Amino acid sequence: MLSSILIYGLINSVILALTAMGFSLTFGISGVANFAYGGFYILSGFLVWMLLHYLKFPFLLAIVVTVGIVGLLGFITYWIILLRVRGIALSEVIATFALGVGILELFRYLGFVTYEFTLPYLKKGTILIAGVPIDYQRLFIIGIGLALVLFLYFFTHHTRIGLSFRGIAQNERTAISLGIRSDRTAALSLAFGCAMGALAAIIILPLGIISINTGYEVLLIAVAVGIVGGLESVSGILIASLILGYTQVFTGTYLKPEWMMVVYLAAIVLVLTIKPSGLFGKFKELEERV
Amino acid sequence: MKKKSLLIGFLVFSFLAVIPHLSFGQLKAGDPIIIGVPTALGSIEGRDGWMAIQMAIEEINAKGGVQVGPNKHLLKAYAIDTREHEPGIPVHDALTAAEKLILERKPHAIALGNFRSEVLLSTMDLISKYKLPYICSIAMTPLMQKKVTEEYDKYKYIFRNCLNAPYLSMYLSGVMGFIRKEFGFNRAYIITQDVLWAKGTGAGLEKWFKENGWEVIAFDTYATGSSDFSPSLIKVRAQKAQVIVPIFDMPQSGILLKQARAMQIPALIAGFISPIACENAWKVFEGEVEGMINMIYEVGPIPVKAVPKSVAFNQNYGRRWGEKARTELSGHGPGPSYDAIYILASAFERAKTVDPDAVVKAIEQTDMDGAIGRIRFGKDHQVIFGFNPKETAVGVGFQWKKPGERVVVFPEGFAEGKIDLPPYMKK
Repeated sequence: MLSSILIYGLINSVILALTAMGFSLTFGISGVANFAYGGFYILSGFLVWMLLHYLKFPFLLAIVVTVGIVGLLGFITYWIILLRVRGIALSEVIATFALGVGILELFRYLGFVTYEFTLPYLKKGTILIAGVPIDYQRLFIIGIGLALVLFLYFFTHHTRIGLSFRGIAQNERTAISLGIRSDRTAALSLAFGCAMGALAAIIILPLGIISINTGYEVLLIAVAVGIVGGLESVSGILIASLILGYTQVFTGTYLKPEWMMVVYLAAIVLVLTIKPSGLFGKFKELEERV
Repeated sequence: MKKKSLLIGFLVFSFLAVIPHLSFGQLKAGDPIIIGVPTALGSIEGRDGWMAIQMAIEEINAKGGVQVGPNKHLLKAYAIDTREHEPGIPVHDALTAAEKLILERKPHAIALGNFRSEVLLSTMDLISKYKLPYICSIAMTPLMQKKVTEEYDKYKYIFRNCLNAPYLSMYLSGVMGFIRKEFGFNRAYIITQDVLWAKGTGAGLEKWFKENGWEVIAFDTYATGSSDFSPSLIKVRAQKAQVIVPIFDMPQSGILLKQARAMQIPALIAGFISPIACENAWKVFEGEVEGMINMIYEVGPIPVKAVPKSVAFNQNYGRRWGEKARTELSGHGPGPSYDAIYILASAFERAKTVDPDAVVKAIEQTDMDGAIGRIRFGKDHQVIFGFNPKETAVGVGFQWKKPGERVVVFPEGFAEGKIDLPPYMKK
């Protein structure tokens, strides 16, 4: 049983990391709130489903098109909605949260509520690892999740755009004085975050169904992982995902499965009480000391 | 000034006091009989039940309507979405929706009704306030019957013609006894949704298991909306459970089967998973439902030769709403919703009025054949379920078999096939 717990705990952790990364990129690294993240996540799932079922796209093409469209929507969202409230944190949260709720409830209104909305596996089949059967889809999740973490680290530390994201997050005025275009960078961060969320949705959703309520849950996961790890820290996201992922699996296995969701909420409360900047958060830690 | 205030206060008070007693039952020649349908229209049970109601009304109206006293009246139904199946929707939101429907449409009776048991129990007070005959066709808590029995005068307007949790336990324990007889299994693992009816059913079944020599390895509950069942499946594998007993009505629950197959869990799955009850589930879940023994709470969504009206209902539903809709018919709700309209129509005719107290008396005396079998209410206003469709309403257990068929395997009296161990359990 222990080997099952260790393996499925790791898978759960990678799913959490993958889910939170797009949100963290936008909110934590460039400082722009995107509480429509859950809406875009579910939109991605339904978009792939519609491309597959209505337009008969090949699966891989549907993935590429969806990631592109959702990224573009993120970019447009900045210019249409966020530009007017930029810098007012509460207004950013309210505006994007309203957009997210709008997207999710629109799908509910249109009748996307039954069990038939499922995405196909990238590859069907199961293999045994340490005597524990694991399907290929979960292996893909681990592989793609780790690749995305590496990409995110490389992107934010070694590319011009990534560095400009971090510059904006650290001090927007100084970043502007150094020639970084604030609005363009913020719009790009929203586009990148949404695209990463879309990719996460496309590889995670085949494990379940595309359910509107998942959109709300995804936002909770992203916020919980971000708060526990420290919103701007890639390594923080990884560690937080491992802590929350394993705690959830242990809770479900040894305590009660219905308490698994409590893990997120308890973690948020605990971290905000003890170390509000998160376990690996650096920027706000300085403010806390001051 | 003081006197004027007192007078206005008295008038307002009198108006408010009279509102609940305003008769919604007045019916003039040419007036339609209004049926209110406050339910969770976004759920598959609510959606299908509403479609079944419309079909029944069209059938009755096509024959000229309902004879109430000297006049014939057409039936007309209005629905409102209570959204009560969604996680996080508070009970009072659903109640507000129901009351809005009652006040705006002034129905003579309510059909289909609540989805969630928790909401049904609260709605009972609302119904008693407006004195409306109410036939519930989804929510399953036995507490409804308890309230009707204990405070009959207050709650006599509330009836239920679908399966309730104790009857579901009765059917499931029958299936389990059958499985034990056939294969010798005696180690069960119960997994239910964290809602009143499902936990109640699970508790009833757990008691039955223990009284009948089974070992219940665990009894896990999952919050509505959960879609990761791996913690339980890990334990099923480690502790060598032979039968997994799931009890769920949420759309995500079908994933339990996919996860069990992916994790190669060598256990028979027998219980109730709402999305797996529909005819199209084999296609949707790409055959991974094979071997599961699932319940159809009330026949109709599955045509059973022993209940001719269930066959007619199934065929007519396909003609009215299309073949796709027929294959999506949920295993709980559509049959009783359809029958509820015929029960009400018959009661209006026999009572010769739409006066609620007279209609309640007439509903209590119902004895008719419907899509769900023979319909008679007990003293607690619950339709009686059993194993013989000539005597009672019936539910069935069926097994998914290649090439995507639902074969009725329980009750034995009118089973259309035998339980086979699925391929992943054959050595």
